[in-house]
Amino acid sequence: MTQVESGNYFAGVDIGSTMTKVVILGEGKEFCLIGPTGPEHRKMANRVMEEALRSASISLEDLTYIIATGYGRINVPFADRQVTEITCHAKGMARLIPSARTVIDIGGQDSKGIRLENGKVIDFVMNDKCAAGTGRFLEIIADALGVPLTKLGELSLSAEKPASISNTCTVFAEQEVISQLAAGESIPNLVAGIHQAAATRIHAMVSKLKFERDVAVTGGGAKNQGLVKALEAKFGFSLLIPGEPLVTGALGAALIGKEMCARAARKGVTLARKPRQLSEASFCC
Amino acid sequence: MSEIRKPRALATQAAGKAGKFGRANLAATLKAKEEGKKVAYMYINNGQDEIVRAMDIVPAWSENFAGVCSAKRDAEKFLQKAEAENFSRSLCTYATCTIGFDIWREELGEIPPNTPWGGMGRPDMIIGSAQQLCDPRIKWPQATQHYLRDVPVWMGTMYYPPWDQISDHRDQEELYVKYATEELRALVRFCEQHTGKKMDWDRLEAIVNLSDRTWDVFIDTYELRMAIPTPMDTGDAMNTMVPLTFNLGTQEAYDFYKELYDELKEKIALKKGVTENEKYRLVWGAGLPSWFALSDFQYFNDKGAVFPVETTYRNAEKIERLDLPKTNDPLEHIAWRWVRIWTHWYDKARKRPGSLPKVERIIEYLEDYHCDGVVFHCAYSCRSWHAGIIQQEQVLKKAYGDVPTLIMEGDIVDISSYNEVDTHNRIDAFMETLGAMKRKERANSAGP
Repeated sequence: MTQVESGNYFAGVDIGSTMTKVVILGEGKEFCLIGPTGPEHRKMANRVMEEALRSASISLEDLTYIIATGYGRINVPFADRQVTEITCHAKGMARLIPSARTVIDIGGQDSKGIRLENGKVIDFVMNDKCAAGTGRFLEIIADALGVPLTKLGELSLSAEKPASISNTCTVFAEQEVISQLAAGESIPNLVAGIHQAAATRIHAMVSKLKFERDVAVTGGGAKNQGLVKALEAKFGFSLLIPGEPLVTGALGAALIGKEMCARAARKGVTLARKPRQLSEASFCC
Repeated sequence: MSEIRKPRALATQAAGKAGKFGRANLAATLKAKEEGKKVAYMYINNGQDEIVRAMDIVPAWSENFAGVCSAKRDAEKFLQKAEAENFSRSLCTYATCTIGFDIWREELGEIPPNTPWGGMGRPDMIIGSAQQLCDPRIKWPQATQHYLRDVPVWMGTMYYPPWDQISDHRDQEELYVKYATEELRALVRFCEQHTGKKMDWDRLEAIVNLSDRTWDVFIDTYELRMAIPTPMDTGDAMNTMVPLTFNLGTQEAYDFYKELYDELKEKIALKKGVTENEKYRLVWGAGLPSWFALSDFQYFNDKGAVFPVETTYRNAEKIERLDLPKTNDPLEHIAWRWVRIWTHWYDKARKRPGSLPKVERIIEYLEDYHCDGVVFHCAYSCRSWHAGIIQQEQVLKKAYGDVPTLIMEGDIVDISSYNEVDTHNRIDAFMETLGAMKRKERANSAGP
């Protein structure tokens, strides 16, 4: 371990189940990079970080503090600290949409509701082990319909009458979609129906929190216009979406690192940091 | 095959010794068969312990056996055996684990190979306790008898007055005590019939008296955990509950808590806590633990969080606080103790609008043990207890205030219901929430 002395760059690395995101905060500049996670978390963290460093024209050694977040956060050997994505999303959202009091994070593998106050988490709720209401749910249905995941949102906007999907269980919903498709239901109507089913699930989960407005949506699900529209119908008001919802957690991680260093400097203490080395992925003992 | 895992760290020496009780209890059922003593399948927290002890019947605690299989991560073979007989996975996995073991033992005519801790001896009788709300305990003995056709079943039902916000439970209390006493009397007759012995009422009275003293020393000991830092947390209590839960009415159980009392006193004098840096104190608000994942308590401890108190397996109270009416009938005494322990938080709950007895108990612990938050555990197959957890959490927040809470998910026995990464992620997020709350409190107390 070496000790932090000075520096102007802070990085947040968010290794989600589907995508890896890196945000580097420099003096008045922000750089972000996104890539698929895949099975080898460490390798992808290295790759995305290398690209982000190239964009920022700096080296790994130039980073003052690095915070890893997301499900794969323990697989970032060069990260100085790990913070959960719940805290990071709250921090990132407080910066992107300061009026947000509730954050809905719709990720690839799970979804979460977060209540915040002054950028700090005061309560949270996560989906149970069921994939309903997560990106995985939509991914499986998109696959069953032969539609690219990125086209789901746009496609659902052309629905005439959303199909009624009674199951929120991913496996049963997939069967239901296939049988309705065979019965002649249109793909846009089915996709809109699936969005409604996912929105119902997410709304029920977030309702466990005593949520307050403004409500903002982040994560990959926020990029799906059809899902957002279905959620807005459930909530009964407009939801706020940041410009690039995928990087909210990584941005929050970088901001937390920056704050920690500032706090440490005020107290006259130095923060320990890991060696700045992009080691190759290894899953052997 | 059981999984080889690193032993869990325990804060007290007593917790390490508690396992010997469980192992000895199982061994006693096997030895009893050799010695021609009667063995009874029994179910915990039933009010029947002392009768069985006084009749020299050796109890075989089915839930304990399933818990041991789970803790050894060696229950799957029994669950699969039951599943092959069409017992659903969503049934109580304590029941399905034990029924799977029973089916297999009957098929082989001996204990199945590699059964954790040697398994349980075949019962001569099954003493059921259809405790209110726990539906599996009504049907479990009958389902077991389906495979053990020659084994007689007795089913007792010890009710207690239901909670009501406006009416005083004491108005009907005596009726419930009378009913419970008659149930216990029927159990004595059943035991006499199947052992061929008569009840020694003086001996029963002495055992009941010993149980009362054990309850007292148990509570005195556990209340030492109010100390800051706490000398023992719930991780240990999941071991130290064994003598109270499975050995009530024995001198060994009483002595165990006397010894634990002395150990905790010593730790308090040395200011030796569960963790070196106790940052957060939490109430284990409800739920049986995932026995195969008890190291999660260690995970909390490593992050500076401790559980000085839990509602789980704390089925005792100081006898004087229960204000039991005097009686010369030991069965009636057991009945009063039973009814009063279940109704202990009724008065307090009535005084707080919108509260519930179970919530009131959590509030009492939050205050008395200086806790910062509450953790619940939802075990999917134990619906009778866990179905009300979300309600308890919401009532707590509504009636008392916005206390940080965490609901974990898993099961008591079925490891396939558990996701370690997800569980640890939730714990991490909860720790960060508690940290933010503490910083806010500090900032507020520092003033503008």
